[in-house]
Amino acid sequence: MAPDAISLSIPHAEPYHGVARLVVGGLAARLDLSYEHLEDLQLALVSVLERDGYVVGPEATVRFLVQPGSVGILLGPVDPDTIRTDLDHEPADGVSLRRVLETLVEDVVLEEAEGRHWLLLGKRVRTAGAEADREGA
Amino acid sequence: MTESAARGDRDLLRRYHDRGDLEARERLIEQYLPLVRSLARRYANRGEQLEDLVQVGCIGLIKAIDRFDVDRGVELTTYATPNIIGEIKRHFRDKGWSVRVPRGLQELNVRLSQLLEQLTVQLERSPTIAELAKAAGVDEEQVLEALESGQAYTTVSLSAPAGHGDDSDLDPLESLGQLEHEYEVSEDRAILAPGLKALDERERRIIHLRFWEGLTQSQIAQQVGISQMHVSRLIRRSLEKVREEIATGRNL
Repeated sequence: MAPDAISLSIPHAEPYHGVARLVVGGLAARLDLSYEHLEDLQLALVSVLERDGYVVGPEATVRFLVQPGSVGILLGPVDPDTIRTDLDHEPADGVSLRRVLETLVEDVVLEEAEGRHWLLLGKRVRTAGAEADREGA
Repeated sequence: MTESAARGDRDLLRRYHDRGDLEARERLIEQYLPLVRSLARRYANRGEQLEDLVQVGCIGLIKAIDRFDVDRGVELTTYATPNIIGEIKRHFRDKGWSVRVPRGLQELNVRLSQLLEQLTVQLERSPTIAELAKAAGVDEEQVLEALESGQAYTTVSLSAPAGHGDDSDLDPLESLGQLEHEYEVSEDRAILAPGLKALDERERRIIHLRFWEGLTQSQIAQQVGISQMHVSRLIRRSLEKVREEIATGRNL
């Protein structure tokens, strides 16, 4: 079953990052996610979105993929080398990207599509609202 | 900067760092005050007095002087500039609540923080947005807006008095328990890490509990003795500070 998808394109600038956070909030309300799950998803998103050098280009695309039992955030385009370096090495600064992301979400996958790279953050959640809708359809 | 001026700086920095000469430190602060003033001027006219921003920028300058590594071969100006700007930006972020967020949302955010605690205990799990909205008597959009408005607000420093309309009446210092010392000793690696040096003791503890021990926000809130929303803010702020610290290091 194909996931329900919500796509958002925003200027890759700090004042617009709040818009992406709000969409996560709207989605969490729609899916009846707990406050903690909402927080985890938002923090995972901003950990990538707000750090210099991860998302490249003037525009950031955030694609939310919802299916029973999980929410995915596909974010990009990203610089694969910077992301890979920070994911693969535990830096001296202690709080590595991998440590942060893997605490917050279950899946962290670097993907390539149409010549660009995207980071998929997948979280397993109880998507009560979406499942009820599907059952009722 | 001329070579002789740079040499003069290095001499003062060595006197301060090697011999603890506070007079040398004072002289450096005075010398770099025009730099602070010129950077502060860039951020003036945004609802803050220039003199206040100069004061804030001075904190960044002092931190830069204190942390400067004389053997790294960079000039103090190069190192101090991002520190001063960072401190001024942090100030705007900290003050952002009162500047940008309508009072109604501030109040709702505070109320949600209390409800979050109550509902977590009552339901024995983290509540949903719908449950928070119902308990607050507002709609879900208002809850989301109020939660988002909380991003503009960061918590008080460890030494600041309580009672800022924050979610906890507890003096932050009171929340530092005896385990603090044990934590500090056992987590040398994290404490010594450059990025984490930017954090205060409580922030390091919370980051440790979340990302090393894998505790949830509610569990951390219970253990540290502050509210869950307060934990959330501290985590976000701490990660931001670590990011800034690393970025400053990379720029050198």
